[in-house]
Amino acid sequence: MAQILAALDEGGANTVLTEAIASVPALSKSGSGSLGPFTASYTVHGHFTGGSIDLVAPATVRIEHLRCVWQMALSFGIDLDDFLPHFCLPQVCVHIPCVGRVCTPKICLSWPTIGVTVPFGDDVEASADFGLDVALIGGQWKVQIVVQNLSQLQFGPGTAGILALIGAAITPPLLVIPFIGPFLAGAVDLILAAIGIAGLTGFLGPILSPFLSGLKIPVYAQDKHFKLLPADGPFDPDVFVELDAVDARIEHSDEDELVLTVGISP
Amino acid sequence: MSLTGTHEVFASIDEGALNAVLEAFFDARPRRRCYGSPIFVPTTTVDATEIPAIAFPGVPGGIGWRIGFTTPVVDLFEQTQPLPPGLSLEPGQFSLRTEVELCVNCVARKDVRGEAAVARSARASRPDHVVCAKIGVFGIGHLDVWNSPSGDGAVRLRVDRVELVDIRPDALETVLECVIKMILDGVLSTIELPLRALRAGAFELIVEEGPEIAHDCIQAFGNV
Repeated sequence: MAQILAALDEGGANTVLTEAIASVPALSKSGSGSLGPFTASYTVHGHFTGGSIDLVAPATVRIEHLRCVWQMALSFGIDLDDFLPHFCLPQVCVHIPCVGRVCTPKICLSWPTIGVTVPFGDDVEASADFGLDVALIGGQWKVQIVVQNLSQLQFGPGTAGILALIGAAITPPLLVIPFIGPFLAGAVDLILAAIGIAGLTGFLGPILSPFLSGLKIPVYAQDKHFKLLPADGPFDPDVFVELDAVDARIEHSDEDELVLTVGISP
Repeated sequence: MSLTGTHEVFASIDEGALNAVLEAFFDARPRRRCYGSPIFVPTTTVDATEIPAIAFPGVPGGIGWRIGFTTPVVDLFEQTQPLPPGLSLEPGQFSLRTEVELCVNCVARKDVRGEAAVARSARASRPDHVVCAKIGVFGIGHLDVWNSPSGDGAVRLRVDRVELVDIRPDALETVLECVIKMILDGVLSTIELPLRALRAGAFELIVEEGPEIAHDCIQAFGNV
């Protein structure tokens, strides 16, 4: 079979795939989740950097220390009615001569909902085994590496400070509530402390995991109807060849190599 | 033994793929293997390239001629295609075989009175009496390559020697071999195949070694 072959050693694969990882468009996601007793909505953006490539025959690309740098805007409201007893002025009735019995209505005060948006960000790291995926899609050959196994996420050191950030964002609006503000701020701090890092990572993990587990890193993309030479004047049109088949594999000899083979015909 | 050796990137195109590339090239641009003077090719088109007639005193309009050849079939060292006696494939070389068709417009010049008619005929749009010969051609050549630190680069096939078979006398064979070698080399040297195309766009390659012919392939080594 007429064949073109290209191979990358691990050093070359590190360069090529690191660039490919950085070229993956930023991902974003919105939704809501539970952070302790709070229901929070979020919008998160993430992009990928780094990683150390290990080629494992016959078809695995292992990336250690794959980093996802993320920024999140977390919005949640604290409904004070959930925390504080309802405060009502009871109905009072008096008898007025010539008028009769007059009653005031029962007046209940609703506690406000304190809304807060907290922007923060950090990075999360994982190691992943990627498989090689070759497909002809819309007339274009694509070789991608696709996550098969993902290790547990390792949150960066900045994650520990996120609870403090949330507390710092919530405390000021609570403190302005007359009489009970300091009490509420203290209560929220206690709640956040109870949530702890475990609760926070339990909240962030399901949000960020799909970013990594769905990651596809492009390795090769060319039209099946491959332009070999561009037109060169009116009598020399474009020259094309057909890329009939593409294969990708990891070969092991005295070193591991990512090997692409491309079968062509006129 | 790894493919990349001491380098980061390896790329190769085997002789089958190179022949597919040549076939695609000449199918898309057939004028690159068909040349004729105006009596045969009045104007350059995608199909044929106009070249001047061979000027010669007393031949009005010059000698009309046409040369064309079939798409060359290339064999990269190591040798897998038979070669005629006198040719052998050495490391770093390629061989090619093709069939050349050489035609001339054989105008019969008669007498003075007829000269005007002959001149008219020579300038006419159709040839008078075409004689053609098809000649099997074998050749040996080498790669002419260039590349730059930016990753650009290209390969050209250069013909060093041509062997015709069954031409007598030997002196005529030598003359024809010289002419056909010049023509084939001239044609093939205008075809510059970019390295990017020869690796089907796979990976970046800053060439450090090659491109060179080895193991029935054109191969190159380098870094990303």
